[in-house]
Amino acid sequence: MKPLTLNFRSKAALTISDAQIQQSIEHVYTGFFNGRLSAADNTPDWEDLRTKGKAIKDHTIAHLDYYLGLLADNVEKNGGSVFFADDGEEARQHIIDLAYKRKIKTVIKSKSMVSEEMGLAEAMNDAGFETVETDLGEYIIQLANETPYHLIAPAVHKSRADVAKLLDDDYKDGDPVPDATELTMLAREKLRGVFERADMSVTGVNFAVAESGSIALVTNEGNGRMSTTVPRVHVAVMGIEKLVPSIQDLSTMLRILIRSATGQRISTYVTMVNGKRKYDEEEGPEEFHLVIMNNGRQKLLEDPLMRESLNCIRCGACLNACPVYRKVGGHAYGWVYPGPIGAIVTPVLTGLKDASNLPSASSLCGACHDSCPVKINIPRMLLELRYRTAEGSSDNNERASSAKERAIWKAWRMGMMGRRRFDIGSRIASIAMKPFSRNGWLKNAPPPISGWTSTRDFPAITASSLKSRLKKRNRGSK
Amino acid sequence: MADRAKFLARVTAGLGRTEVLVPTSITETAGFEDAATAKVNADKASNDASERSSELTDQMAAEAAKAGWKVHRASNSEDAAGYIASICAQKKATSVLRSNHDVLDEIGVDLAVTTSGATVSKTEHSGDYSPYQIQESKNKAFSADIGITGVDYGIAETGTVVLHPRRGLSRLVSLAPPIHIAVLRPGEVLDSLDELFAMERNDFMSGKLSGSMNLISGPSKTADIEGTTVTGIHGPLEVHLIILTDD
Repeated sequence: MKPLTLNFRSKAALTISDAQIQQSIEHVYTGFFNGRLSAADNTPDWEDLRTKGKAIKDHTIAHLDYYLGLLADNVEKNGGSVFFADDGEEARQHIIDLAYKRKIKTVIKSKSMVSEEMGLAEAMNDAGFETVETDLGEYIIQLANETPYHLIAPAVHKSRADVAKLLDDDYKDGDPVPDATELTMLAREKLRGVFERADMSVTGVNFAVAESGSIALVTNEGNGRMSTTVPRVHVAVMGIEKLVPSIQDLSTMLRILIRSATGQRISTYVTMVNGKRKYDEEEGPEEFHLVIMNNGRQKLLEDPLMRESLNCIRCGACLNACPVYRKVGGHAYGWVYPGPIGAIVTPVLTGLKDASNLPSASSLCGACHDSCPVKINIPRMLLELRYRTAEGSSDNNERASSAKERAIWKAWRMGMMGRRRFDIGSRIASIAMKPFSRNGWLKNAPPPISGWTSTRDFPAITASSLKSRLKKRNRGSK
Repeated sequence: MADRAKFLARVTAGLGRTEVLVPTSITETAGFEDAATAKVNADKASNDASERSSELTDQMAAEAAKAGWKVHRASNSEDAAGYIASICAQKKATSVLRSNHDVLDEIGVDLAVTTSGATVSKTEHSGDYSPYQIQESKNKAFSADIGITGVDYGIAETGTVVLHPRRGLSRLVSLAPPIHIAVLRPGEVLDSLDELFAMERNDFMSGKLSGSMNLISGPSKTADIEGTTVTGIHGPLEVHLIILTDD
């Protein structure tokens, strides 16, 4: 997927001014957010679980080379094949080649952010394979030809009328809007046929287990189960970070993932598959392929200050908690991963220079850190990326601040660091603002302050400073 | 294709090392306990399940109901069979698919289903895994009205039914038909996910890990349209859990 991070401001503005989207996303995020809170409250050892989850991920990433090797060995031992892809293009090409070789006609996809990174569904459809997203939200998004809005609620911004138009060719504006149940049943019917004829599936991986070569999939809908059961070829795709060492680690990781994602204590389905159909199983895929993709994660790995972001288990809790994400929506972030986690991962993976707005889109309130099941310190990394935007190396595609901007801040710094300079500076500013201010507020200031005043008033600097007023008062009281 | 050795060497370099550092201390994770320890843990989980059977079964019943199972506590085999027959009749089922769990034979599932007027068949290939045969059984699963299984383990904490697909237990029997009925015997209920994964780890260490495992907690559901929860998107719309009494 091509990054569109440069459009952050315009996309954000579009979402903020759309009252209908604001209403529907607020409803869903509040539900997820409160769900997670009460799930955490009702889990007596919740903080211990988070600490354990963080320890498991820290340990795994610190020995990532070892555990990836172990995982690959065990997948092969189970009769599967492993493909290592440096980037999304390599991964995509491998899967398309495989589909050609196996004479595949229909591919079912289960939700996978990694496959979004490679733009897989679109490429496979272009290559002539009927490729259908099976998570209901993803299916709606695919029909609308859009990208997911949220890690676990991809179609959160679509109204029932939008969905009706996408699912039902006969639906016209003005027709009575079907309820969610009717629409879901319509989708069930359509997707049933696809499941029955599918001969290949592509799924993500919630956790791969290094010691046994297993993968665990978490769904509420059951598409993960269909995908690992019906087609004769199963391809699972994962980023290099999506694994745990031992089977027993799943107990901790599933608990924190599911509670953080939807507030459920467990999702309807948790599926663990250990490769292809075993000789004594009634059905299951005849082939299992695991694609392990790097796709820029190398930069996160090499960077000691950003490495912690590889601990992410993609639950979406930081999105639901973020006051900025909840207003600007998922598409503003311009790449696969929205919200706070996207604001730290996307700039490193796709280049900070074009994505410098992302780490700035935060009030640093810390809600993301508090809600993270593996305690990723997102605010620390947001600050680090802001620092690099200003001071980073330009040949590393980091520094995004212009010479003019840096000069302004340099002058600001000088002004703030001397009493006389501060007094003179504020007097000049007060005079300069005078023509634009009414009753102490700027309403229509010229650029660059218009960026602020076009949406809200800006307090004008008063003619006399606090210091001079205090001086005057003290003199009077003597 | 990226070469495995090169790919992994890049990861090693990314970690600032020149060769793979095999972890020595694994206290951070659940760890790689040896086979003997894994067995001790699994035995403990299993003893716990039988010793605290009545308490765990009660908890399972309560949590399963919260998760969306329609729970029926059967007083005896006839009661269980009667309940199954009444669902078949009520839903006007014509074809029912069942696994070959012993518990289903014990309560006389086949008779119960046929009395209601439906036909019943087992999900068993009898060793014929030709593509034709596999396609046939898939078709059967997708056209069945009801799927009936036993329960390999229950999980009390979450009201979860655990199934290990194997010969005689199709993965589809609990997924493709619109209604799933699971029959649970007391003594098969584990406390929590911890105990389940302790059992799994032991199976793995002793080379008996099954090909796949499904944890099922209620009917298939989605909230992808305006955040409204709707049951029955890809899997069953309705799930019944019959709990037999200890006798």
